[in-house]
Amino acid sequence: MVQWFPQAQFAGYIMAMEKGFYEDENMHVTIKFSDGADSPLQEVLDKRVDFCTGWLSQAIMLRSENKPIINISQILQQSSLILVAKKSSGIATPQDMKDKRISNWGGDFSIQPTAFFRKADIDVNIIPQSFRIDGFLMGAIDVTSAMYYNEYHKILQAGIDEDELVTFFFSDYDLNFPEDGIYCLEETCNANPILCRNFVHASLKGWEYAFQHKEETLDVVMKYCRQYHMQTNRSHQEWMLNAIESALKYRVGDTITNWGTLSKKDYETVADELLKQDLIQSIPSYNDFYKDVLHEK
Amino acid sequence: MKNDNIHVKRPLGRKLLFWIGAPLLLVYVIVILFTYYWSGKNALYQMKEYLFELTEHHACMLDGTFSRVSQASVGIADAMGILPTPENDQLIALMEKKLKDNKNIFGMAIAFEPYYYRKNVKLFSPYVSRSGDKIQSSNLADSYNYLYQDWYLIPQLLGTSYWGEPYFDEGGGNILMATYSQPIYRNDMFIGISTADISLEYLETEMSNIRIMAGYTFIITRTGTFIYHPEEEYMMNESIFSLAEQYDQLELRTIGKKMIAGERGMATIDDFFTGEKKWLVYSPIKECDWSFAAVIPEKEIMKTVNSMVIKQIAIMIIGLLIILLVIIWAAVGITNPIRKLVISADRIAKGDLNEKIVGIKGHDEIHQLVKAFNKMTYDLKHYIQDLTKATKAREAVESELRIARSIQESLLPRIFPPFPDKEEFDLYARNIPAKEVAGDFFDFFMLDEEHIAVIIADVSGKGVSAGLFMAVTRTLIKTVCDLKIGPAASLERANYVLCQDNDACMFTTLFLAFYNIKTGHMTWANAGHDEPIVAAPNGSIRKLVTFKDIALGIDDSHTYHEGVTTLDKGEIIVLYTDGVIEATSPEKELYGEKRFIEKIGEIADKPIITIINEITKDLDGFQLDNQFDDITILILKREK
Repeated sequence: MVQWFPQAQFAGYIMAMEKGFYEDENMHVTIKFSDGADSPLQEVLDKRVDFCTGWLSQAIMLRSENKPIINISQILQQSSLILVAKKSSGIATPQDMKDKRISNWGGDFSIQPTAFFRKADIDVNIIPQSFRIDGFLMGAIDVTSAMYYNEYHKILQAGIDEDELVTFFFSDYDLNFPEDGIYCLEETCNANPILCRNFVHASLKGWEYAFQHKEETLDVVMKYCRQYHMQTNRSHQEWMLNAIESALKYRVGDTITNWGTLSKKDYETVADELLKQDLIQSIPSYNDFYKDVLHEK
Repeated sequence: MKNDNIHVKRPLGRKLLFWIGAPLLLVYVIVILFTYYWSGKNALYQMKEYLFELTEHHACMLDGTFSRVSQASVGIADAMGILPTPENDQLIALMEKKLKDNKNIFGMAIAFEPYYYRKNVKLFSPYVSRSGDKIQSSNLADSYNYLYQDWYLIPQLLGTSYWGEPYFDEGGGNILMATYSQPIYRNDMFIGISTADISLEYLETEMSNIRIMAGYTFIITRTGTFIYHPEEEYMMNESIFSLAEQYDQLELRTIGKKMIAGERGMATIDDFFTGEKKWLVYSPIKECDWSFAAVIPEKEIMKTVNSMVIKQIAIMIIGLLIILLVIIWAAVGITNPIRKLVISADRIAKGDLNEKIVGIKGHDEIHQLVKAFNKMTYDLKHYIQDLTKATKAREAVESELRIARSIQESLLPRIFPPFPDKEEFDLYARNIPAKEVAGDFFDFFMLDEEHIAVIIADVSGKGVSAGLFMAVTRTLIKTVCDLKIGPAASLERANYVLCQDNDACMFTTLFLAFYNIKTGHMTWANAGHDEPIVAAPNGSIRKLVTFKDIALGIDDSHTYHEGVTTLDKGEIIVLYTDGVIEATSPEKELYGEKRFIEKIGEIADKPIITIINEITKDLDGFQLDNQFDDITILILKREK
């Protein structure tokens, strides 16, 4: 199960399924798309699905509550969550956001902004953010949260040029929270590590295929989008695929050699911040939380 | 026989057509090109204005529809801001009334700030909406927390009314909807939001009915998102900017920015797939900051523009054709009589003088020419009639002259050799008359067994009178010749007779010789005639020198002298008239005695018939058809 409706964010899994990479590993995989209301991690805990994707921050929080969830692969290495403001609003630095109207999604999405504003030592007027960008476009909101691969491009597709915008990547402020990772129950991994490894392997193969065959991938993604009545378009999905590729292959300032692995440093960055925000009481052990199924013998 | 087909290499009509038609055509072509250029420009300008007006018209119609929906909401907001807050059923009734009044309103809601409506009720939002033909009502607070909905939050934050981005209303049968939100203020305090929903379903039907030439129309919202486009897939999925990105058309993004900025304008774009040039004309729907646009293939526009231009040019071409027809008509009017004249002249040339040209009307030069022509034909006919009469008369005379000539010819000896049994001599003569009746004559006859008289004469004048005088003289000479008295006395006798009653004063030169065929001895007398020539076979020549005796018929008492000569065997004596030596070439040169004598010298040893043939041939070659005097030659030869 993935966290949202079909889009290029999940192209790797979709292509792995479409191209039969899971079948190659003797697995039968169907992808369940979230409608935004159900949490995939909760679905795994409730054993309604075997594997899911989820944000590292949320998974750490669950783990700290002794929920038997483990990360078997960290897919997206670089945080795509950003803050966007219009240049015309006069915002150029984090300090400029003081007393401005800033819209935020709740939950996981608010952890980095909270840390960000704390670091900048400013009070801001936080306003709950819908899934649309109208408030920002209309000027009702000064600064909006956005996923670089999604909302940011939607703003561009609403006729605002990149040079009219100011962006703040959290990863540039020591707040690189790796996002989508693959999770399953600890017991699943213990009972059948090969299955887990094969699943991750096939998923990464799907990603590799998706980046090497972008047009075909976009065809497939668009097919799913239409099937799920997503209001989206091909060029948007293309942007998303490229942005995801970059978030998957690169970490802030460097490239990564082993895709799909969770760096201990990133893990600690996220866990430390969660602790700071009292979202967790203690940091779960990295080794308990993460099983490098691909490389373990 | 009639042959009316005349072939003219360069007919006048064609010339007229060329010299008038060609410059006219040139002028017309220039005018047409200018017209094409200017009226093309003008038509294009008009077309632009037309398209502008048309899009503006449609945008205004939409604007009106949206305005009426928003006004309903504004009305309620105004009332809420002033009046004491009504009970729930009153609010419902108020909104139901608005829905009944305006079929475009799908639903309406009033949403209050927390605890505003009742101190103990946090969220309260009465909502009425259509469900089929009915209107139903509910409280939105039962379904969700509306406070963070765009339709509530954005106008609250902005402090102004707001047309939300369209969305598919999942509760109301997945209808494409747009919501107008109007903040409600009471005493400058924000107390809630009044909304009105418009179903955009009607847009699809309405828009698909709009026909702007062979183009299509679309509507984008303020984010550039298509909410109407004939390509159904685009609706709510694509924005003008996403298409610009996908098909890599930077200009389209620029156009899109202008459109969402509420500008009106016109631009050309390339079709994403065919690359065909298209016009995009857009106009804002001001009420909701949307933009209405029409896309028309340039070729359609140019077709219309061209058809306008073509109509103008067609009229000009028709005008040109009419002028050309008039020229042809005029040309035919001129050439037809001329053709008739040509045909008539042809017939006249073939002798048909009864030809008369009729049916040429008017009083112009052509008509005068026809009149003159007819007069000429008439005159010619009469002239020819007169001429025919005269010719007939002349022919009668000529026929008489011919008779006279034949009589005269019969007078001259015609059989050569005349005395085939006489081996001592040979004789041959030829007379070539210049006119029908000649004045020259020759004669010869035996005086006895041994003597022959030889005569050559030239009567003064020519024609009939000369012929008659010649006949008289010939007969007379024959009568008076007497061997005993000799040729000179014989001539005296003849002279005497001729001088009597010679009222016409005719005279004749004459040479008379008595020749002894045995001895070659010859006695002769010469009455003013050219001196005969004696030629030996070796070509030596001598002349019989005369005594300057005058011609016969002048002086009846003249005494003629007698000369004597002897022809050696083989010698010839050539008698001739002055027509020989006075023969004239076309260059007016005289044949001359010298040439004559030389010619005889060259051929003196030839048979005498050959000599005469050669001389006449030489004369013919010299004077060609120029003979104007009788020519007579007689040759006597003493055989060996």
